Parts: sequence; structure tokens; C-alpha cells
Amino acid sequence: MSDPATTWHAEPDLLDRYARGDIDHARACSLEAHLLECARCRLALAPAVDTGRLEDSWDGLVAALDAPRPGRMERLLVRLGVREHTARLLAATPTLRLSWLAGVVLALGFAVAAAHGGRGERSLLLFLLLAPLLPVAGVAASFTRGVDPTYDVALAAPMPAFHLLLIRSTAVLGTTMVVAAVAALGLPDLGWIVAAWLVPAVALTVVSLALATFQAPVTAAATVAAVWVGGVLGSEALSDGGLRAFRPGPISSAAFTAGGQLALVAVTILALLVVTSRHDRFEIERTV
Amino acid sequence: MAETLDDPRSDQQLVEAMAGGDRSALRSLHSRHAPWLLLRLSRRCADPAIVEEVVQDTFLAVWRKPAAYKGSGPVAAWIWGIGIRRLVDQFRRQRRPMVEVAEGMATTPSAEEQLLLGVEHGDLGAALNRLSPELRAVVQATVLDGLTTREAARLLGIPAGTVKTRMMRAKPQLREALL
Repeated sequence: MSDPATTWHAEPDLLDRYARGDIDHARACSLEAHLLECARCRLALAPAVDTGRLEDSWDGLVAALDAPRPGRMERLLVRLGVREHTARLLAATPTLRLSWLAGVVLALGFAVAAAHGGRGERSLLLFLLLAPLLPVAGVAASFTRGVDPTYDVALAAPMPAFHLLLIRSTAVLGTTMVVAAVAALGLPDLGWIVAAWLVPAVALTVVSLALATFQAPVTAAATVAAVWVGGVLGSEALSDGGLRAFRPGPISSAAFTAGGQLALVAVTILALLVVTSRHDRFEIERTV
Repeated sequence: MAETLDDPRSDQQLVEAMAGGDRSALRSLHSRHAPWLLLRLSRRCADPAIVEEVVQDTFLAVWRKPAAYKGSGPVAAWIWGIGIRRLVDQFRRQRRPMVEVAEGMATTPSAEEQLLLGVEHGDLGAALNRLSPELRAVVQATVLDGLTTREAARLLGIPAGTVKTRMMRAKPQLREALL
């Protein structure tokens, strides 16, 4: 151990008083500065700490070394101030994993490419149809036995299933919408309509949650998806007076008009009321 | 414990050995450095459970990133830099200021101690002790503990601007003692 060329060493009495906290500030400061440099005084100070406490510290350290290390996502969440158990459950959400997000990016990429391939507002139709459905699928997959590897863990989690559902749904909806928003920047600039998927995305997700209080999450998501796709394509086709929904031209579906968006907001609020009043339905499944 | 204190390797050699995954090197570093780290952190945080967690976190970081030690300066200073920042992180996570300017620091030295201080530290020591607890805590966090203004603010649970103004008020008082 390299002692610097110092001849000064702390008196046993000084070390003792430092360990007990019975020392004035200036002495503590100078001793602390000295300790960083002087192995001999550090060694002399060591007996002041209870051996049992040090052994506990070492045992805890070994246990932490041998414990599986939390993933990068989980550590990031903890650093951002998310509590540890919430971070673990979030990190384990299959639809927050990279593979899922990569799928989302790919799907939206196709839609953006399609938008550039076509002409007029209709070229956006695929994107506007797809973007709201991705969070619906993501949320449903987070709660489905067989898709969610932590399904059984989540059932046993020491928090109400409804809380977990809210946390995960918000996280999935949030991340998917951020990805979609970035993708939307790549769309040809056709005015506010490139943002018309935002309200439907929230509305469809909440409605699928509301439906999930009546039926299985996947069935609920499928129902919502079918109604959404059918409704939008149907109204586009009708407005064309034929079944050629993708003929270049303006988008006519009510869902993307100002009135339609307001209606979707109303539907969202309604669905939220259903979800909150029937939230105990999410708990019942635990007893099955 | 005793045999690990007898480890003939220097701190620097232990850090190098750790990079190769040698757990006995960590054991030796822990037995050499955990005691003073525990005591020094205890002067900055009254909750022993938090101090113990921070010590453990610190050695975990030491084990995982031995390459972060640049090879210059004492290993103890490197460990302290990690430890005090882990403590700041803890305070941030707890979302409450933990350093209630510790009682022990605020005691005014007796007349006898004043005399001794004058001998040992010159007037600077006395000037440090004369600072109000608030100013002293800021001087300690920034000058002695080597924290940035921002980190000191988190540690003490006060705004960064307050750290700066307190430091500005403390400086002339200390300077006066030196002149």
C-alpha cells in the first residue's frame, strides 16, 4: 500500500471520536481528506465499525453479485425514478420489448411507404387505419395467457390486477404512439389529417379495455379491430359508390372529420366510465 | 476478516485483478474500504439502512466497472467519488432531502477546543467551525466531497441557486481567516 510521504497520522483518540460523530467540523474535514490518502489511518479506523455489520455488508454484496442482473430497460426505468417492482413488471411486458417495437416500426414503415406511393389523402388510409390498431393489439397481448410470459407472475403480483393493467396499458399506448408520431413525420405533408390517427388510437385502446371487462382481451381487441377496419373501409367504399375504396381521392370517413373525432372523444370518455365501474372484472380472473 | 487485510496486493493491483473477475480482490477491497466509507457516509446520512445500501451499491459498481478507475490517484478517492454520488442518487429516488444538517456538526467547540484548533489548523479550522451549519454543509459537499453544484443541491435538498449563493457567502468568511 502506497503511503504518501506524510509523517502525520491521526491519533487513536481522534479516530475514535470521528467514528462516534463526536468531533467538530474542521477536524472531521481534515481527517476525511487524510483518510483518502493514508492506508494506515484507514486501517486504524476499521475496528470502529462493528464486524457483524461489515460481514452483513459483504454477504449482501455477494448476494447482489449472484442475483440475476436487471435488464437494460429495467435499469433505465429505475434511474428515471420508477419504483423497482413497477419497473420489473413494465420491463417484462412483452409488448414493450424490442421485438414488438421493431414489428410496430416495420408495419408503420410499410404504411408510410404506401402513403408516398399513392396520390391524395387516400394514400394515407393505410397509415390512419393501422396506427390506432397497434396499441390495441399491444395492450391485448400484454394480458393474454400464452403471449405474456409473465402472465402467472402478474396474477400473483402484490398489486391489484387493475393497477397493473393501467400501468402497462399506459406504457404500451405511450410508446406505440411515440413510435407512430415519429413515423407520421415521414408522411407526405397533407395538413392536419396526418395526425388524425391520434384520437382513434386512444379511443380504440380504451374501448377494447372496456370490452375486455365482458370478454377475453383478444376477442375484445379483435372485435374493435373488425369494427374499425370495416367501418372506415366501408364508408370509404360507399362514398365512392362502389367497392374501390383505394381509388385516389379525399378521405371521406367520418372518423377523420372534426365531428367524428369529437364523437370518438365522447366514446373514449364513455368507455373510461365502463372500465372504472367494472374494473373488478379484471380481478376475478385471478380466482379462475 | 483478518486474513483479507493481509492481502499483500496494493489497491491498484486489486482493481486490476477485479477486471479479471477475481472475487477475492473485491473481498480485500471491501474489507479495506468499507469501514471508512460506512463511517464517512454516516456523517452525511442519518439512516443506517440507506448508508448500508449505498456501501453495497458502491462496491457493486466497483466490481462491475473496474475500468472506470483511471489508474491515477488513490483508489480510496475513486471509491469515495462513486459512494457520494450513489448517496445523491438515493436521495433523489427517495424524493426527500436526507441531510438534516447533522446535529454533531453544529456543536460549537469548547474554549479548549478552540485553542487546540488554532494550533492545529490555524484560523481556517476555527473559521470553518464558525460558519453557520447551512453554509458549512455547502462547503463540505462542494469542496470536500467534490460534488458539482447540482449534485450538492440534491444531496442537501435545496435549489442549485441556493448552493451557489451560500458558497459565495461562505468564501469571504474563509478568506478572511486565511489573510
